[in-house]
Amino acid sequence: MDAVKLQEQAAKRQELFIGLYKKVFPAVAKYVAKCGGSFDEAKDVFQDALLSYYEKTGSAGLAINNSDGAYVYGTARYLWLKRYKEGRQTSPLNEADAANTTAEIVTVPDENKLLSFLETAGKRCMELLRSFYYDKLPMTAVAQTFGFSGVRSATVQKYKCIEKVREAVKQKALTYEDFLK
Amino acid sequence: MRTSLNNIAYIEAHLLKKQQPGDALLFDAKLLLDHDLQVDTSAQKQVYTLVQQYGRRQLKQEIEAVHQQLFTQPEHLSFKQKIARLFFRS
Repeated sequence: MDAVKLQEQAAKRQELFIGLYKKVFPAVAKYVAKCGGSFDEAKDVFQDALLSYYEKTGSAGLAINNSDGAYVYGTARYLWLKRYKEGRQTSPLNEADAANTTAEIVTVPDENKLLSFLETAGKRCMELLRSFYYDKLPMTAVAQTFGFSGVRSATVQKYKCIEKVREAVKQKALTYEDFLK
Repeated sequence: MRTSLNNIAYIEAHLLKKQQPGDALLFDAKLLLDHDLQVDTSAQKQVYTLVQQYGRRQLKQEIEAVHQQLFTQPEHLSFKQKIARLFFRS
């Protein structure tokens, strides 16, 4: 794994988030404060709005324009109203609603264990798969970042990684079945 | 690519909805008859979910690191104060 290239990608994301923090967080904080919310609440919804923005645009969104700021601000505001304002006025926050607004994937403990395992044992593969499927980097950039000679060999490696993780998933299913017996 | 990798590419096209409609129908039909394909497809679906969760976990950590940087490092003091004034007015 080309550590320098990976760090470059991470540095680009850091720059993006610092930019959005400076540009948008004051407005979000102002809104939340005005409505009687706390700093931690503002932080919570703002960070989830950043996550949502990133998942929507991927690495393509590395240059911030006005509409990006508006998207993050709008999302944060919506999340705050949904999570804190409504919850205070009415019944406790409906968990299904909260999951919908952030598109949160519910992780069962068993999957958490598998994920932790993959984070250590399959770091390189997970980083490669993350770059392509989560960060949505083009295959040419994935090839460069991970030091492959070209798109073709990077693609082959991508499928090998899927195979490896898929095996781990199957193993997990097996041990679970054993456990039930 | 070896056969097993082609098989993964084939399943991926189906799961990520990149097949032609006719191919998708054919895939569904095969799925009914082929137990191994069922197992592989279901496991592979989980792989994409895991990658999504992994990416999200990492990104959350990166965002939190940026937050810490902005609220603890001296060069961002004015930003920190600007925010603090909103919440902790006397």
